[in-house]
Amino acid sequence: MTGVLVTGATTPFGLALTHALAAAPDVTQVLAVARETQWPGASERKLTYISLDLTRERDVRDLLFGQARELGIEVVVHSAHHRSLRVHGPRAHALHVDATRQILELVERHPSIRRFVYASSSEVYRRGAGLPSVIGEGHPIELSPEMPQKLRDRVEADLTVCARSGLSRCSLMVLRFAELLAADSGSQLADYLGSLVCVRALGFDPMIEVVSIEDAVRATLAAVASSAQGVVNIPGADVLPLSSAIEAAGRTAIAVPEPAVELLYAARALRRGYEFTWRMNRWRFRWGGVLDGTRAHEVLGYVPRARVDFRAVAQAAHPGTST
Amino acid sequence: MYAARALARALAPEDVRERLSRARIADAGHGYDRLGLSREGALAAIAGTSFLYERWFRVRSSGIEHVPREGPAILAPNHSGTLPLDGVMLWADVVRHGDPPRVPRIAVDLFVPRLPLVFTAFARSGAIGGDRTTVSRVLADGELVGIFPEGVPGIAKPRSERYKLRPFRPGHAELAIRHGAPIVPVAIVGAEEQWPELARIESFHAFGAPYLPIPATPFPLPVRYHIRYGPAMDPRPRFSADAADEPAIARGLAEEVRQAVQGLVDATLRERDGVFG
Repeated sequence: MTGVLVTGATTPFGLALTHALAAAPDVTQVLAVARETQWPGASERKLTYISLDLTRERDVRDLLFGQARELGIEVVVHSAHHRSLRVHGPRAHALHVDATRQILELVERHPSIRRFVYASSSEVYRRGAGLPSVIGEGHPIELSPEMPQKLRDRVEADLTVCARSGLSRCSLMVLRFAELLAADSGSQLADYLGSLVCVRALGFDPMIEVVSIEDAVRATLAAVASSAQGVVNIPGADVLPLSSAIEAAGRTAIAVPEPAVELLYAARALRRGYEFTWRMNRWRFRWGGVLDGTRAHEVLGYVPRARVDFRAVAQAAHPGTST
Repeated sequence: MYAARALARALAPEDVRERLSRARIADAGHGYDRLGLSREGALAAIAGTSFLYERWFRVRSSGIEHVPREGPAILAPNHSGTLPLDGVMLWADVVRHGDPPRVPRIAVDLFVPRLPLVFTAFARSGAIGGDRTTVSRVLADGELVGIFPEGVPGIAKPRSERYKLRPFRPGHAELAIRHGAPIVPVAIVGAEEQWPELARIESFHAFGAPYLPIPATPFPLPVRYHIRYGPAMDPRPRFSADAADEPAIARGLAEEVRQAVQGLVDATLRERDGVFG
């Protein structure tokens, strides 16, 4: 019997995870935490929602050693991060990295918490022509200073958790999900597919991999129940060329020379306020890369099976662009 | 796109279309495997290479029965020619003649994925990046992999040293031992003479290419290709998987494979009736 604390509980993934945990027979309590003042989901008997700013150290300490201890929380699933690339600066870093570090330090001496699961992303992996197309957990990490702060922060937070693995009295697991393709999830691909016309680099049609919320939740439930440690890739059930993803979303693909793609998307971001940036995705949109799910299968018994409705995601990403 | 598919269906020989329909491709859900191979892409590649295979190089194939019917296996051919058309012909030969039909995953040099259009076309027909992680994953999935153990030095040999094999890198032997994959030595004869090289620009490294060859002719010469498969060399009775980490064992096996390929090349050279015959 387990009590679970979920941070970032009001994102589409956090909501789905919280409800799945509340419905799980072996979970006794779910303590959902997010910034929003109101819980946006349905109320559940086992669910307690707390509105909290994770960047406020005192509040986090009070949460963990107050309510979390009283509820007998044993597992923390930390998935809080800003979904928008536009949020940057010290406040964003405080949530992405400092809060992660602080929660880690606190759970290590917490009387009831024995496990910490960090929801990371395959965005942390470097993509390149000379790098393997199959991305294992030991794949090189994206450390380029050119990348947006959100990505650099995610890498730092991910590695912060990895650095404690094996040293902590808590068991730590980092789940590196394939891109979670859902509207309002901070997915770059969802924003990209929001346009009626999707421009890609001429001569390149890489394999793209996405994971559904359903599969991501299933993998996280398995991680909560497991005692294994370390990094685990969570692949998705949809692996397809970028051109096919565009087609599946009901969009029109146009291939143009790469310098023009960068300019077009820079102009689109400025004019329409869209999130997608070519700079962050250019290596992935040239050479792709798919996650090796062998470890997820061996350690968590996880095999992806739920497909994503590309058309629905694209339309939800930018309502009014339906075809 | 639809026109290209229709053209591919029209140009690919019917028996090969039928064979491809029986080949095992691990569809990841959208008609492609996780590394980009698709039945349509393989069909397009067969259609695109038919003229070269049947009419231009008039490929003669022997010993295909040595290619394992299932499970992980490595094709280890010699490498030659100004441009690596030998890999393309080997791929086409296995698809056309293997029984049961298998689509080999030809491992390409690490600069190839940088080439616009080229790698996308290659990937759709089953080519994979030649890095250890990717090849290892594909072997673990029980696929047939083509590795040129000589690497670029095989292609870059001077004319005076044609058909004298360069040292084999031990990577293929390590992977074979690790995965218990039989190695099929393959001789490809004809490729050395296919496209005489006039010069090369050593300082040209666009897209990561090792150099830029300047061919002496605008098209490859219509030499006769001979592709000959030797008996598979199975590492399993001799080595445990852990022996892959023993450098001397991997180097020793790589040298055995090199000698086997050299023997097949020499035998084929003795038997062939001239370069064009």
